[in-house]
Amino acid sequence: MNSIDVDTLQRAARLAGFDFAPSDLEPLRSAIERALQALERLEALPLATVEPVTQYRVV
Amino acid sequence: MTDLHWASVADLARLIATKEVSPVEVVRAHLDRIAALDPRLRCFITLTADEALEAARAAEGELAAGSSRGPLHGVPFALKDLFDTSGVRTTGGSKILADRVPAEDATVVRRLATSGAISLGKLTMHEFAYGPEGLNVHYGTARNPWDAGEERIAGGSSSGSGVAVAAGLVPLALGSDTGGSIRIPASLCGITGLKPTYGRVSRAGVLPLSWSMDHAGPMTRSAADAALVLRALAGYDPADPTTSVLPVPDYTAALTGDVKGLRVGVLRVGFLDAAAPEVRDAVESAIKTLESLGARVDEVTLEHVGSVAAGAMAIVAAEALAYHAEWVRTRPADYQPDVIERLRAGAFVSGVHYVRAQQARALVRTAVDAALARRDVLLSPATPIAATRIGETEAAFGEGTIDVRSSLLRFTRPFNFTGHPACALPCGFTAGGLPIGLQIVGRPFDEATVLRAADAYQRVTDWHTRRPPLAP
Repeated sequence: MNSIDVDTLQRAARLAGFDFAPSDLEPLRSAIERALQALERLEALPLATVEPVTQYRVV
Repeated sequence: MTDLHWASVADLARLIATKEVSPVEVVRAHLDRIAALDPRLRCFITLTADEALEAARAAEGELAAGSSRGPLHGVPFALKDLFDTSGVRTTGGSKILADRVPAEDATVVRRLATSGAISLGKLTMHEFAYGPEGLNVHYGTARNPWDAGEERIAGGSSSGSGVAVAAGLVPLALGSDTGGSIRIPASLCGITGLKPTYGRVSRAGVLPLSWSMDHAGPMTRSAADAALVLRALAGYDPADPTTSVLPVPDYTAALTGDVKGLRVGVLRVGFLDAAAPEVRDAVESAIKTLESLGARVDEVTLEHVGSVAAGAMAIVAAEALAYHAEWVRTRPADYQPDVIERLRAGAFVSGVHYVRAQQARALVRTAVDAALARRDVLLSPATPIAATRIGETEAAFGEGTIDVRSSLLRFTRPFNFTGHPACALPCGFTAGGLPIGLQIVGRPFDEATVLRAADAYQRVTDWHTRRPPLAP
């Protein structure tokens, strides 16, 4: 994954409905990059036939 | 009896029922202890001393008239400040909800009251339960009572609950657990904390962090007390649609002390192997103790457990931001810095990320079920490290350092992801005198076996009876 700049984060946050200032996002930038890389690694799991947990397993 | 503040829940209930002590004496003893120590330990956000004494006098009158409300009649307790309490503010440890006064009790608070227990007040916590250290800039960070310098974390997010029980301010507290928030402070403070199966205990009236990961449960000084309290808490609640209709067993009756033939799977890869040497040694010793009692021990590896950190982060971040969205937009300056940062990060979790995380959740749940198909319980350290200093974000580990926050969550969070019951209990101390925690995980709705194993261990060890070096 390429490095994500604050401007990109700000635009992505706006799309999600949050108007964060660049000064709010700069301290988060590296943590968000690491989190998105970790989430990308979930794609390597054998999930093709796995249904997501969509209901609580309650009996 | 002297030292009422160190008496167990079971002993207090018995002494009160047999009129050897009165509920007023018991409540006063704990209020005196709180008055002496809480200014240093910083557990309570709201102390309800007058209401507690009034309730104790009523309880005394009821006993004199020959009636008892239930098995916890007159026993004091306290609540993490995210359980709603009628007429008593419930802040979530936040400035945002500083003046919020609920009209009704949370279901579990009502159930404890129905059993006769008496609330002494509301306990501090990591703001909105969003952190495993137990930090709180608004009401003060609870101090780990095992650290004479009073500069170490209690663990969180149920930090006040962990400290209050460990320091003898209350014999019982309620906590909530989204990634380890009952078990982490139990581990770091040397007490017993039980995260029940998802669906076993109602969360109605509990401020949410992440609806699909949140659990509520008891924090006590022994597994026997946890069993007694769990029976009062558990069961179907129409106000919480995730609760189970399964009958609630008599958990205390399950505590036979007998673990002969109990099949114990030790989680070594990714758990024991990833713990600090002192923690590893203490847990290895606990394994030997269980073996000496007749348990049959083998090792088991949980497939896909490496995906838990990312998956759980995606789920909690998305669900937490959904709950907090309006305040994140309108009152960001009213959050403490680490919490607003975590909430903002939730805006970058996409729908696809969330579904992938739920798929990973299905994989890990299947893996834990498979490990428990031929075993009764799984065993690991509760946390890889003991209590760190307040404000420390990295801790020495081997020849390098580790991130404190992610390390604290590492061994507990998988079982929030899967919903299995898990108990943390003390199994030793570091050379510096800090508690070390063991974790026992069971099959869904089989808290009885988890508690039986924990109780059997506590019958032959004394870690849970050691007291922190506090004066008075």
